[in-house]
Amino acid sequence: MTAGLGTAPLEQVPHVLDVRKLSKVYGSGETAVHALRDVDLTVRRGEYVAVIGQSGSGKSTLLNMLGCLDAPTSGRYLLEGLDVADLDERQQAVLRNRQIGFIFQAFNLIPRTSALANVELPLVYAGVGRRVRRERAQAALSLVGLQGREDHRPNQLSGGQQQRVAVARALVTTPALLLADEPTGNLDSASTADVLGLFDRLHAAGRTIVLITHDDEVAERAERVVVVSDGRLTEAAPSAAELPPRRPGTARAPR
Amino acid sequence: MSVVEIVRFAVRGLIANRLRSLLTMLGIIIGIAAVILLTALGNGASQYIQGQIAGLGANSITVLPRQPPDTVGTDGRPLTQGDVRALADPQGAPDVASVSPVVSVQDTTVEAGRARTDATIIGSTPSYFPGANVQLGTGRTYTEADVTAGRKVVLLGRTVADELFGIGSDPVGRDVLVRGVPFDVIGTLAPAGQGQGLSNPDENVLAPLTAVQGSLTGFGDLTQIVVQARSTEAQAAAESEINSILDRRHGIDDPDNRDYQVLSARQLADVLDDTLGAFTLLLAAIAAISLVVGGIGITNIMLVSVTERTREIGIRKALGAPPSAILGQFLVESIILSVVGGVLGVAVGYAGTLVPLGDFRPVVLPSAVVAAVGVSAAIGIFFGAYPARRAARLRPIEALRRE
Repeated sequence: MTAGLGTAPLEQVPHVLDVRKLSKVYGSGETAVHALRDVDLTVRRGEYVAVIGQSGSGKSTLLNMLGCLDAPTSGRYLLEGLDVADLDERQQAVLRNRQIGFIFQAFNLIPRTSALANVELPLVYAGVGRRVRRERAQAALSLVGLQGREDHRPNQLSGGQQQRVAVARALVTTPALLLADEPTGNLDSASTADVLGLFDRLHAAGRTIVLITHDDEVAERAERVVVVSDGRLTEAAPSAAELPPRRPGTARAPR
Repeated sequence: MSVVEIVRFAVRGLIANRLRSLLTMLGIIIGIAAVILLTALGNGASQYIQGQIAGLGANSITVLPRQPPDTVGTDGRPLTQGDVRALADPQGAPDVASVSPVVSVQDTTVEAGRARTDATIIGSTPSYFPGANVQLGTGRTYTEADVTAGRKVVLLGRTVADELFGIGSDPVGRDVLVRGVPFDVIGTLAPAGQGQGLSNPDENVLAPLTAVQGSLTGFGDLTQIVVQARSTEAQAAAESEINSILDRRHGIDDPDNRDYQVLSARQLADVLDDTLGAFTLLLAAIAAISLVVGGIGITNIMLVSVTERTREIGIRKALGAPPSAILGQFLVESIILSVVGGVLGVAVGYAGTLVPLGDFRPVVLPSAVVAAVGVSAAIGIFFGAYPARRAARLRPIEALRRE
């Protein structure tokens, strides 16, 4: 899964995400709320994209569309080249299971259930046998640095640890896309650094990550930032390209 | 996603809320236990009464005089020795084995020395003993010769003997005064036990027909006629022969307006059985209502559970649970609740039947047990279907938004 980016020419790399003129309207008539207006977005395999925006800007709506949790009013959404609109409820469940790993702000672990069982859950729905499931869940937990905590319940883990369990759960099916919704919103600074470090490592390992945040510091870790504002999406200038014009003086190197 | 996994999720969900699961089950436990216990009671009562009626003499038929329903003020014709002779005619009544004329006097004072008691004096012929299924205890029965001679001899029921001569005594050879008339005791009757049949034979005193007529009633009409059919199978035929002979002799055109009635253990058994069956059905219906209430309890709790776990359902859906898996999880939860409740209910109901009630013991019908468990499974599916469908149809986005 990490091979694509480095070896294949850019045009042949399939887009993990391909969103075209996506709109979402809640309600109708005069009370209609346009949460998203004609959004276009493509994400290549292995990209680490941060979506930033004020609260109410439509970024959560966008995430719900990308995660197949909600259907768009109009527009097209291709996930791994597959048009999501063509799928029925059951097929969408399979798609979420195989292609998407969710990481939520509130962790969303199943209460009263061990860390291991939480991580195993997507594999259960994928129909993976018990032994294989256990092995893969254990591997995912050690990847996020939680080996030895398999039998802890969510209420026995710190916020940072819970979020790492959630990351392990998102990873365990080796999905095409990791979708993170304010993953550090409920964490202290140490745990935030922890989780962001984990994302960096996953990115380095070639994972495709789309992260939603309102925190600029979190967004800075991504290789690409898009801004959602009033339901419209704009590409933020790459920070590297942004630097020279801002400090014209430094461009004049000493001769 | 295998069934095993669905069951595991369901069990985990139930164990997470132990007390609530138990209380929900309680509704089903009580309902099923009530159905098992009440049908067992009805069944036990029915078997008990069947046994009692068999003790009355399965071949025995009793003919009693009665006021014809339509002729107010005018008595019907009484039963006479002429009727007895006609019924004993093997040509007119081939299915009749024996006919015993009976005169009886209730609440008659019987004395022995200073002891006295009240008894029913029954005068008849020797054929009365097999005819009415009366068993001899000690001594001998009276004979045809005793009847012909009008000898004043008696056989005492067990209770009468106990009261006059002491408990367990054998009064054969002693004398008693029946309404002041001296009789020789020639035997006692075997104890029949409390409450056998409609009157208690232990409180009867049996004597030859002619002796009772000569000293107590006079030589008039008969109190009843006891007829014995040739066999249990011949009983219905014997009854219709009795009807046709007596209808002719009493000038009856309308079978509804007879001046006599024919009673048999078979009729009694049929009537009691019908009554008991209706009664058992009524009890079972009441128990079934409690079962329905228990089922509604399951729906209620499952709805609460779905609402409470909306977020969990949302998480599961986000992780790729198909609607069928969510439906299955909640449906299996309610089926487990109701089936475990049903099995416990059968156990509780069975334990309840071990408590003896009066003279009879409830008898659990195996078919009721099978039906109870089947019904409880059906209740789980029926009453769990709506909450489970609601869970399965939750939209993941709305479910996740719920705190």
